[in-house]
Amino acid sequence: MTETRRTNLVQTLFPSVLSGVVLGVIGAIIAGVIVAHFVPDNTDAIVVAAYTGWVIFFFIGIGAFNGVWKWGFGRRDATPAEELQLAGKDQGLWRYFRYTTDHKVVGMQYLVTVLAFFFLGSMGAFMIRLEQAVPGAIFFTPSTYNTIVGMHGILMIAATIIMISGPFGNFVLPIMIGARDMAFPRLNALSYWLLFSIIPVFFSTLALGGFPTGWTGYAPLSVQELTPGMDAYCFTLIIFAISTTVAAMNIVTTVMVMRTKGMTWGRLPVFVWGVVLSVILGLTAFPSFLMSQVMVLMDRVFETSFFIAAFGGNNWLYEHLFWFMGHPEVYVIALPSMAAAAEITAVFARKPVFGYRMLVGSLVSICILSVLVWGHHLYTSGSESALDGPYMLDTELISIPTGLFFLVLVGTLWRGRIWITVPLLFVIGMLVNFVIGGITGIYLADLPTDEILHGGMFVTAHFHFTLVGSMVFGFFAAFYYWFPKMVGRRLNPVLGKLHFWLFEIGFVGTFTALFYAGLQGEPRWSANVAPPFVTANLIASLFAILIAVSVFVLVYNVVTAVVRGEPATANEWGAKTLEWAVPTPVPLENFEDLPEIKVLPYDYGATPAKTGSDSVVDAPLQPQAES
Amino acid sequence: MSDANVNGNPDSTTPAQEPRHLRRALILWGVLSVIGIVLAITLTQFILPVSASDLDNADNVTIVVFTALAVPVALFVFVFLGYSLFAFRTEGRPTEDGIPLQPRPLLQIGWLGITSVLCLFLVIWGMFAFYQETATAAPNTLVVQVTGQQWMWTVNYPQYNASSSGAQVIELPVNRPVRFDVTSDDVLHGFAIRALGVRVDANPGEMSSTPLVTPTRIGSYTVVCVELCGLYHSYMWESVNVVSDAQFNAWITSQGGHL
Repeated sequence: MTETRRTNLVQTLFPSVLSGVVLGVIGAIIAGVIVAHFVPDNTDAIVVAAYTGWVIFFFIGIGAFNGVWKWGFGRRDATPAEELQLAGKDQGLWRYFRYTTDHKVVGMQYLVTVLAFFFLGSMGAFMIRLEQAVPGAIFFTPSTYNTIVGMHGILMIAATIIMISGPFGNFVLPIMIGARDMAFPRLNALSYWLLFSIIPVFFSTLALGGFPTGWTGYAPLSVQELTPGMDAYCFTLIIFAISTTVAAMNIVTTVMVMRTKGMTWGRLPVFVWGVVLSVILGLTAFPSFLMSQVMVLMDRVFETSFFIAAFGGNNWLYEHLFWFMGHPEVYVIALPSMAAAAEITAVFARKPVFGYRMLVGSLVSICILSVLVWGHHLYTSGSESALDGPYMLDTELISIPTGLFFLVLVGTLWRGRIWITVPLLFVIGMLVNFVIGGITGIYLADLPTDEILHGGMFVTAHFHFTLVGSMVFGFFAAFYYWFPKMVGRRLNPVLGKLHFWLFEIGFVGTFTALFYAGLQGEPRWSANVAPPFVTANLIASLFAILIAVSVFVLVYNVVTAVVRGEPATANEWGAKTLEWAVPTPVPLENFEDLPEIKVLPYDYGATPAKTGSDSVVDAPLQPQAES
Repeated sequence: MSDANVNGNPDSTTPAQEPRHLRRALILWGVLSVIGIVLAITLTQFILPVSASDLDNADNVTIVVFTALAVPVALFVFVFLGYSLFAFRTEGRPTEDGIPLQPRPLLQIGWLGITSVLCLFLVIWGMFAFYQETATAAPNTLVVQVTGQQWMWTVNYPQYNASSSGAQVIELPVNRPVRFDVTSDDVLHGFAIRALGVRVDANPGEMSSTPLVTPTRIGSYTVVCVELCGLYHSYMWESVNVVSDAQFNAWITSQGGHL
């Protein structure tokens, strides 16, 4: 590709995110005005029309339909040069702001988005801790507080769902399996930009009065005509469900058909297994999420009555649809994080994964069992379900494969050569927190104890221990592990360790205090902390200060690393998976010649420990770096 | 588990001078577990709030039992993790690889067996405890109708034709089984009294009943709402007073009911 394309300013800006936003705003205004003309009183209809206009015209503006139109009207496929142009060849940083199909660009876009979500979501968390530090609604009105809780919840849940599969599933996974790109590069770009398109939709709720329901959005509260801010919630989740579904199909197809020669299912790195199982689980979970929000929007806009008891609806319908997504979703978050932890442990213990098949079996079992556990969220719903027993059995059966996971990780560390780095520290923190989070989950899964803990602070503390203490710690392990490969710079390990210790101590302190408050019977979602729970909440808030400091340590570390960090080597940690065998920065299309795989990428101890790449792959791996 | 099972690689032979890591870790785990179980059983007495009913008492017992069971499980991971990091860490980047251990079938089966037994115990205990709670019946049951609305609870005593809508309080006689029939006028609420071990959702258009609960301790407790129900969710509090029979009867009369 030596042919030079002359690009002027117009060609640079269109298509790009700029033209997308401009066209999207115009589309939103036009759609809103048209609907307002016909139904001036129906605020919900106007708001939803504006959102729909925004999304459709944003995608026209960013050029998502260009290829479709070219093929549909011109009857011609993109030339190889056009494909490379679409993949962001020679576009510098601007490729991150376009409809770029290169999986590494999409991975970086996801990574930045996830970090931004985490940052904003954690600010919400600190506001919550501020309000709960003292009794009474002092700092925020109850309505503002509820909106903050809901936004914190949605931002964090969205971020955790995509935190591994998005950045690392897109950037690292295709290289790990020896592919040049994802199976559907355009769908890959679509999945990211769908996610991007709902960011302004979601934050528009602040201008529309917020939403009162928290992250669960329970009907019929969400159907009450309080504020149009609820529409932002529903619309965000609908598009989010589509985005994750598109991404999931892409990842599944990629792993099924794009594996390089010799990369059999039995030789897949465990991280790939984790991501694939996670997105397969997501494929079963998210459609019902989407449907529940479509039904809420219909109740709001068209005044149907799916959830209004007075007109034949039922709130249990919402609860079932929601939790049919809501509990598998927890494992959508958990599986890739657990797999990443196993991957990282093997590297830093310089030992093969202790029981590769045992680990894969454990992940598969969790994936299957978790589809049918959602009913434990309805133990106290009053529906007197005959299925409570089976739900309880299924939920607690998950502790068996989870126990295997612990055996695998502890066994991998046992008698290894343990190199305590920041990624491994986060894995250790994850294991410690996951034990606590998992065991407290038993209390909530068991009928007699759930009876006194349901809907209380104990639940909040439990799922923060599993989602934050375990899975977000797993994310940070993966983040510190793959950052040198993705960005090409090293993070400062001293700051990384500081980040870890502040986070771990602050986290355990905060949520142990909340466990105590929950045992005393403090309800969740309390703007107004009642007298018996004041001390525990104050302690929790004080510990949260440590977490807040850790957030800024991370931000400082990342910013300085990106600006003036020392360049990373190709194989920073001495790992044996394929992504460490390609140069840093990874060239477009990843491999000059596709490698052939002979063994699992964990053959530590079997061969002399060097960089290890030649023992994994057969073909010479010297692709030319992108100039 | 024995040394032989974990040191699963038949090729690796432990040099005689190397410490017996597995034995050390297991002893550490055993000692800590015993201490931990004793501490768990004694300390939970202080952590758990006062229970004022048979139901809550049973639930608290379940919490203590589960905690005692959880201690050795958690300590197993903590001890082996801590021991590994202490004994097997390297200074800086390792120059050689670890011993490539793989689990033996006996270890896998044993681990699966123990965790399965633990898991089934939890399920059976839970089912049994729950069955005991729901299967009881009593002739002198007091029925209390509770209606949630944004953001208060309204209470009726249909057997006495009395209601406490003005007083914002629930009075219960001590040592008499009571059943709450809970519903909602608008959105989902959660009716919960921690001290009585009562928790059920108030669903609009549906009546949900709690299992029979017998208050056993005279005192004042609190109803809270445990499902987010909008603006003043965290203010949706009400007192529950467990009183003597005589006081209860007097109160019913004062609320316009007849005995």
